[in-house]
Amino acid sequence: MVRAVPTPLRILAWVFVGLCAVFLLGPLVVVVGVSLSESRFVAFPPNGLSLQWYQRVLASDAYLAAGWLSLRVAVLVTISATLLGGAAAVAIHRRKLPGSEAMGAFFLSPLVLPTIIYAIGMLMLWSMLFGPVSVPVLWLAHTVIASPYVVRTTLAVLADSDPFLEEAAATMGAGRMQRLLLVVLPQCTPGLAAGAFFAFNVSFDEAVLSLFLRRPGMTTLPVQIYSELEFSPDPSVAAVSTIMILITIALILIIDRIVGVQKVASS
Amino acid sequence: MTDRQENLLLVLPGLLLLAVAFFVPIAQMLVLAFQGPEGPTLDHFRRFLGDEFYLGVLWRTVKLSTLITFWCLIIGFPLAYIMARVGPRARLWLVVMVILPLMTSVVIRTFGWMVVLSRSGLIPSTLRDFGLVGRSFSLMHTEAAIVIGMVQVLLPFMALSILGVMLRIDPRLEEAARTMGCGFLQAVRTVVFPLAVPGIVAGSLLVFTLSASSFITPNLLGGPRVQVLAASIYRQVTQTLDWNFAAAQAVILFAGVLLVLIPYIRLARRADG
Repeated sequence: MVRAVPTPLRILAWVFVGLCAVFLLGPLVVVVGVSLSESRFVAFPPNGLSLQWYQRVLASDAYLAAGWLSLRVAVLVTISATLLGGAAAVAIHRRKLPGSEAMGAFFLSPLVLPTIIYAIGMLMLWSMLFGPVSVPVLWLAHTVIASPYVVRTTLAVLADSDPFLEEAAATMGAGRMQRLLLVVLPQCTPGLAAGAFFAFNVSFDEAVLSLFLRRPGMTTLPVQIYSELEFSPDPSVAAVSTIMILITIALILIIDRIVGVQKVASS
Repeated sequence: MTDRQENLLLVLPGLLLLAVAFFVPIAQMLVLAFQGPEGPTLDHFRRFLGDEFYLGVLWRTVKLSTLITFWCLIIGFPLAYIMARVGPRARLWLVVMVILPLMTSVVIRTFGWMVVLSRSGLIPSTLRDFGLVGRSFSLMHTEAAIVIGMVQVLLPFMALSILGVMLRIDPRLEEAARTMGCGFLQAVRTVVFPLAVPGIVAGSLLVFTLSASSFITPNLLGGPRVQVLAASIYRQVTQTLDWNFAAAQAVILFAGVLLVLIPYIRLARRADG
């Protein structure tokens, strides 16, 4: 056995990891810090401690309306993306259709193409066909960019499943519907569930599409935050942001419980 | 019903959604870019390529994206290597450290940087205390601010791309090199690095396209005077409402991104197979 890693390098590695942690998580810590500030200036470290900015947010019509819109869109997107993406993943996994390989790439293409290019096309097409933007277009566009996540997590789970279970069910006389619902669906469930939470996160935190597809009276939470940042932010922006960070942490914990964060991260 | 019909039925709704709500809008944008008052035209492209301001914007976009990719690689490679070599518990924590910012909205992360980089923020005031910079020093509205913010936004993509490949490298290869007399750094350089190249290239291409096409962080940290291509597109769409010109700029961005993406998709497929 060789001596693994020289001790000075080992120490250096942990210093490096520490610096990376500060760099990656620092901005989030700063936002949380600002939200607790007592004064009305955005500053870190905060001056004094108070929760007044959270009260301010909960009493603000603009934030509540934006939050309500974001939540509605995210729930709709979660449902549609999970249904469409999950069904497609099952068919792609079976590899019985011609061009299954290409189809997989096709379904993941919204992940690779920059969102701004899609956003501008969607805005132009919708305005030409239907006039001003509305909630359905936001729902549609978010579903397009969220469903690849469901396809991916479902395919990852199916890759480890037993391909003969379905055949066995068929031999024992199960009909198509029975096989889909009683054999395939339970096998997919962890992937579907993880994908659903990803879809919710994608839609809830998405800003590019929502910035292009907005009009007065239809702003999602990230867009509302963006507009505040362009002018003069006060700590209430930080309070809203902190709430969103907490939701993200909750989603990560849930996804980790269902399929394991590491599996998702390295696939 | 046959197996084939069942599979078609499953896949069709998703295919339709992508065709109608993804590919048609992109086609529509391509058409608009070549559309003038009297039929097809290249005027919008001529306007872009003949204007020094826009050429400057294009150059800045390429320059900053290259810098951002470079820094992501310099930080991302050792980070991915450490993530691949630590025990499972430590790796879980490192993955969470990378994924938490990744899943947080870009506007929120940029907000954090705005606070830290502003004139009275943590970083400029520290530099001032050490007497390294003058009193009016501020990092906001500079290209450096964009690079710092964007590296933080995109580092997770780079680290995870490299990690995916790194986890598939047989650790015994590195051990063998060490037993045969390689030093640690030599083993990393001659064994691990070459085997990780697919992940490095894929991560770099991804980070480059993402940074070339983002406008939220550049807009907020760079301000109106330090514009990049995507920010200019956003401005045309929302403020000057010149959609044809915006579409033309998007086509230029699209063409640049495709040049980079085609090798990316090839590599990704090879890494999977």
